[in-house]
Amino acid sequence: MSAQLSPTLRKPRTRRPPRELSLAFVMAAPTIAVLLALSVYPLIYAIKVAFQSGTGADAHWTLQHFTRLFSDSFFLAALGHTLLFATVALTFEFLLGLGLALLVDRPLRGRGLFRALLLVPMMLPPVVVGVVWRLMLNPDFGAINGTLRSVGLTTEALTWTASPRLAMLSVIAVDVWQWTPFVFLVLLAGLQAIPQEPYEAARMDGSSAWQTFRFITLPLLRPAMLIALLLRTMDLLRVFDQIFILTEGGPGFATETVSLYIYRAAFRFFDFGYAAAMSFVLLVITNLISAGYIRLLQRQEAA
Amino acid sequence: MSKPRWSRLMVYLALVVAVVTALVPVYWMLTISLKSEVDQFASPPRWFSFSPTLTHYADAFLSRSFGQYLATSATVAVLSTLAAVTLGTFAAYALARFRWPMRLDRRLSLWILSTRMFPPIVSAVPLFLMMRDLRLLNTTAALVIVYTAFNLPFVVWMMRGFFQELPREMEEAAMIDGDSRLGALFRIILPLVVPGLAATAVFCLIMSWNEFLLALVLTQTDAAMTLPVGIAGRVTQYEIKWGVMSAAGVVAMVPILTFAMAVQRYLVRGLSLGAVKG
Repeated sequence: MSAQLSPTLRKPRTRRPPRELSLAFVMAAPTIAVLLALSVYPLIYAIKVAFQSGTGADAHWTLQHFTRLFSDSFFLAALGHTLLFATVALTFEFLLGLGLALLVDRPLRGRGLFRALLLVPMMLPPVVVGVVWRLMLNPDFGAINGTLRSVGLTTEALTWTASPRLAMLSVIAVDVWQWTPFVFLVLLAGLQAIPQEPYEAARMDGSSAWQTFRFITLPLLRPAMLIALLLRTMDLLRVFDQIFILTEGGPGFATETVSLYIYRAAFRFFDFGYAAAMSFVLLVITNLISAGYIRLLQRQEAA
Repeated sequence: MSKPRWSRLMVYLALVVAVVTALVPVYWMLTISLKSEVDQFASPPRWFSFSPTLTHYADAFLSRSFGQYLATSATVAVLSTLAAVTLGTFAAYALARFRWPMRLDRRLSLWILSTRMFPPIVSAVPLFLMMRDLRLLNTTAALVIVYTAFNLPFVVWMMRGFFQELPREMEEAAMIDGDSRLGALFRIILPLVVPGLAATAVFCLIMSWNEFLLALVLTQTDAAMTLPVGIAGRVTQYEIKWGVMSAAGVVAMVPILTFAMAVQRYLVRGLSLGAVKG
């Protein structure tokens, strides 16, 4: 029957009042527009910059920026530094944060105060973290070497951020100092969300402390662990601010990370095409790693 | 001593070590900002016994340009927070409460979240070129615009979570009583999410205030640069005025720590983009 009705008579089929939906669209539109203009458009712009060479009438499409990447030993070294920095810092932040969270996850007097004081490093502006640690690590009048000297040790070899061998260790230690509290807080929240029943059941069954940890705490804490690891990994791979202040990538090239190298290519050498190409490599790497974590998280939820 | 008391003691000891490690470097900066040059370079280091002076603060904020950087930082943080919270709250409500066709509500939310996941250096190059083309380099406007976009995904995700925690019946009851959808939002829902909204705004303030890389790229003149860029510019020069640097660092840190303590309850939730309710 309906086929014989003229199209003008047919009402549009909607499951919800159309006015509601247009209100929703009007409410969301400004946000979508801002993000299109300032997140999506820049990305497209960067693609154009990365795949083009020359300016004005000379501009042409090319892969040269990408082929150059693989033979640029500085880029490969910066990539290696970034992965080393991220892996070592993540390991320490995770283990220390987990240890602290397990310690604090019990009724303790003054727990709120400990929590509040431990927050201080991670809330600091990264630039201030840089200043703080330049003051601590300065070989001549820094607090660390000064304290070591006052107990009779020699500190000539301990030039920290000025030493090619100790510089990477220094920037890793600073990141561990700043971000262990974050892992601690997320894992503590995760621990406190675990219900009491499985623990009571384990106690009745006579499980040892290790068995309880291994078969109850660890599996139930997994989602919180994965989120802490995901967020820290994303942050570590893009590291820029503290290293820029502490060492500027030096001495020499010892602490140059991918973000710093991209910054140098773009804003010291004005090689925007090459910088954009390297940005894409960084973007792809971070996306692959975060996709891996998110997969693990989803498998967790499905199970 | 019995075993539980021992282990309790060890727990407290570990916590004290953790707190001391977290705070000592910050305290050291505070002392440097208050020390005369003689005390700064003293060996062994003077942790407590020095005669405090405020000359470095006066030097930084009255004689040098740090007062101006401070004003720029505050302006940029406040304006970008207002813009992001206003736009983002409406979008969050639209995505939390309306049923969009083709599950667009969920897809749009995930897309908005994904814009937040770019490493900032990836956006830095195109944003610099765009702002150069628009002749907005070295302007406060450029930073306000960029930080608004930077904070928006965060606001949407936080507020979407807070809206979803309220039962739908609340608006439905108000709308049966004759309120419009927007009337119900303003009269019933917004007052209930005020604590979450305030915490979200404070997070935006902190993130804008702390941001460094984009500010470094977009502002290079004294008139336009924010406090972190101003501090970085001085630190990386050869002759370093440690007292001035520390004074600027302390001033950059104090508002942030005050804010952070105010939103402590929401801290985990905010730092994990709503992923952990804490």
